[in-house]
Amino acid sequence: MCGIAAVFAYGTSAPSVDRDEIEAITERMRPRGPDAGGTWISPDTRVALGARRLAIIDLSDEGTQPMTDVDGELRIVFNGEIYNYRELRARLERLGARFHSTTDTEVLLQLYRHDGATMVELLRGMFAFAIWDPRARKLFVARDPYGIKPLYIADDGQTFRAASTVKALLADGRVGRAHDPAGVAGFWLMGSVPEPRTIFESIRAVEAGTSLFVGERGIHDVRRYYSIAATFERGVQDEAAAHLVQPPVLLRELVTDSLRHHLVSDVPVGAFLSSGIDSTALVALATEATGQPPRTVTLRFEEFQGRDSDEAPLADRFAKQIGSDHVTRLVTRDEFAADLPRLFDAMDQPTIDGTNTWFVSKAAAERGLKVAISGLGGDELFGSYPSFRDLPRIVAAARVPLAAAVAGYVTRNPKASAMGRYGSTWPGAYLLKRGLFLPEDLPKLMGVDAAHEGLRQLAMLDHIGETIQPDPGTPFGRVAALEASLYMRNQLLRDTDWASMAHSLEVRTPLVDATLLRQIAPLLMVEKQRCKQHFADSPRTPLPAWLSSRSKTGFTVPLTEWMQLRPDGTSTRMRSWAQVVMEQWT
Amino acid sequence: MRILHVGTDSFGGYGGIALYNRELIAAMASHPSIDEVVVIPRIIVGALEPLPEKVTFVTAAASGRIAYVNALRNAGNGFDLVVCAHVNLLPIVRLVTKNPLLMLYGIEAWKPLRDPLSNRLLRNIRGAISISDITRDRFAGWSHYDGLSLLLPNSIRAEWYGIRPKNPDLVQRYHLEGKRVLMTLGRVVAAERYKGFDEVLDVLPDLDRDISYVIAGGGNDVPRLQRKAASLGIADRVVFTGLFPENEKADLYNLADVYVMPSRGEGFGFVFLEALACGVPVIASRLDGGREAVRHGELGQLVDPTSRAEIRVAVRDALAAGTGKHIPEGLDFFSYANFERRTHAIIDALAANA
Repeated sequence: MCGIAAVFAYGTSAPSVDRDEIEAITERMRPRGPDAGGTWISPDTRVALGARRLAIIDLSDEGTQPMTDVDGELRIVFNGEIYNYRELRARLERLGARFHSTTDTEVLLQLYRHDGATMVELLRGMFAFAIWDPRARKLFVARDPYGIKPLYIADDGQTFRAASTVKALLADGRVGRAHDPAGVAGFWLMGSVPEPRTIFESIRAVEAGTSLFVGERGIHDVRRYYSIAATFERGVQDEAAAHLVQPPVLLRELVTDSLRHHLVSDVPVGAFLSSGIDSTALVALATEATGQPPRTVTLRFEEFQGRDSDEAPLADRFAKQIGSDHVTRLVTRDEFAADLPRLFDAMDQPTIDGTNTWFVSKAAAERGLKVAISGLGGDELFGSYPSFRDLPRIVAAARVPLAAAVAGYVTRNPKASAMGRYGSTWPGAYLLKRGLFLPEDLPKLMGVDAAHEGLRQLAMLDHIGETIQPDPGTPFGRVAALEASLYMRNQLLRDTDWASMAHSLEVRTPLVDATLLRQIAPLLMVEKQRCKQHFADSPRTPLPAWLSSRSKTGFTVPLTEWMQLRPDGTSTRMRSWAQVVMEQWT
Repeated sequence: MRILHVGTDSFGGYGGIALYNRELIAAMASHPSIDEVVVIPRIIVGALEPLPEKVTFVTAAASGRIAYVNALRNAGNGFDLVVCAHVNLLPIVRLVTKNPLLMLYGIEAWKPLRDPLSNRLLRNIRGAISISDITRDRFAGWSHYDGLSLLLPNSIRAEWYGIRPKNPDLVQRYHLEGKRVLMTLGRVVAAERYKGFDEVLDVLPDLDRDISYVIAGGGNDVPRLQRKAASLGIADRVVFTGLFPENEKADLYNLADVYVMPSRGEGFGFVFLEALACGVPVIASRLDGGREAVRHGELGQLVDPTSRAEIRVAVRDALAAGTGKHIPEGLDFFSYANFERRTHAIIDALAANA
């Protein structure tokens, strides 16, 4: 886990790379990698690489980046973890590769040498990296299938720049800060900026599951090597595989396999614990797999005391039952107020989420943890969001003549009124369900012209529609692909990255794993939402009913009380919070 | 000590379970403290192989359901051990004992049995013998069985196979002149679409054009796979042998340069042992019992059957290795001598428990 940076002055008229620039970009990411840092500039001064390192695998200096291969030829900067690096290394050694360290980073170099761009399809993990290949005079850049690890690029037609954060790319002042109206519009619509857009016109995200080359003529051979929708489509075709094994037993096997991979570390791995099924089942399975429960952390808020949203009592009860070394961390309004400037500074792009992860990561770091597993992704995987129930209903209802108009008239709800305009297609229904504001609200938030231009460029419905191409084949598959490709990717995963890295904590998500999804897709297509209960039953000692039958609550913080948010027509007052957040970018 | 073996098929049977039962019966009979093994077969389809000493084979049992039940009743109660050689036979075995030793092979034991009575009868079994760890774990997972549970993997008589030159008649019959050959052998039926045929077809277009894929076996899913091969533009590179005579099997394996079966439903994967006994490098699945047949990677490569990339790379690596055919030393782990030794140890353990 690190912060990485790369600058490639590929154009003939581009000035040489500058040590000050690569150092400024890298330094901006110091909290992501407090253990070590380094930069490298090619002898011809056309390429610069930089990295900050949080040492987790091979703690020796051999793991320092930028790293070269054993021949001193290829060079890499890498952020993330390759969980199957030992298997990959064993294969490469059989094929004659030599290594100078025991890192996963070096495995990437040898894998690139052996398999080229297709190497990414063999990786199990979360990653973003750049490999400089001096013979080909190309930079190879790739990002993991789900987009767990971030990677942003700025390309002015002469010089290509990449970094783990948007703010790092801006650190030296050579990358423009003009807002992208489409990025701004995306934030107002969804509460986070939909990739590949960012809030800045000159910066784009490398999209999840994508690799590309940068050569002497710029970016080329952009390749989408992974699609969540295609994985679900395949799951429908492979339905026979879903009927072979009892579902809880199959989930135990496959999630435990994912957990075992996610527990690969040379430092202790802790866990975020809530009172929900995902985190408790993961902790139970991790305990079975290792014979010892991980250290666990739960947040408590006085404002939630005695309410269903107070996760602490049940999490504490479960921790006692499983015997984990557990801490319940109280977070107060005063602490929130004191942290808020640092939180906004760490927030890489505007988002309405992330505060919860900020505090739970802070609590984990206070316990001396560098790595924690999280149940993030379980709701998208096992279909436990209300959207899995509501979206098919919206699509069906909106196709009934007059139903939308009647719903809008009766409920006086703006979203219900908009059902006729949006609800009859899956992308429209998703926008309606997940949208923070609707497109017609944007002129008053960002001005008529900017809203018009932003919405035109963003083409949000087309963008949403692309995430369910190819068609996953079932309503469950469509909603799962939408949630994982949009809400989870643009909000949950991105926020988890900046909020945890600000505390030098690596969060691992065993339920957000492309290999796991491929393996259980047939089961998901058959069992659908029942998979959540199967998951609760998957540990050898199934989760107790007082946990598994509890109604779902979100992982929230009492922002309304802390910020005195004004009523905004939503129960969470997230529209008001969004306006507070956006003020930080204006 | 007398043993009653109640099974589906063994001597005169065809396929993996029949072979396993023959080896098991022979190994039990060779134990010094065993006086007799009485075998009640449900099916006999071919000529009987020579029976081992001390084995009484009740041929009449295979002539129908009533005959089978009568044979069981007539067998009497004087047995020290009753082997129920298939979970589906639990209710009928109840005629002779409440506490059989249950044999577990693969998918039939991976989820609750259709018949509620069988599920209840599991509570009283004397022990369970599994062909693989994965079957043992999956069975325990749903049944919560926590009694005596032992492992007895397949055995291979390597001397029946061996490395041979490619049989020119078969090469000509299947148009494999100058081709490198991938092979999967098994029943090609719609109910077993987890075998991995589709997965290999999916990667074939990414492989060099001189690589052909031989699907050795017949069944009702052949037409679908033929259509799929055509739609992928590889119809000319895929050979469907249909059913083949047993005496051609070793020659068939020897046509292969790589045996690949990225399945999700193998209890063990005896075919891997057969291919290895012919010196053919194998690629097995890490999501089913195949991983145990190749001893978790020691005898062959393992792939995730859901990953086309892993299958593609494993095939390329296997073909590129160019080490020629050889029978790995580690295959001896599955020799009949070791199978017999393990069987005797199980009998000793059961006797000690009794």
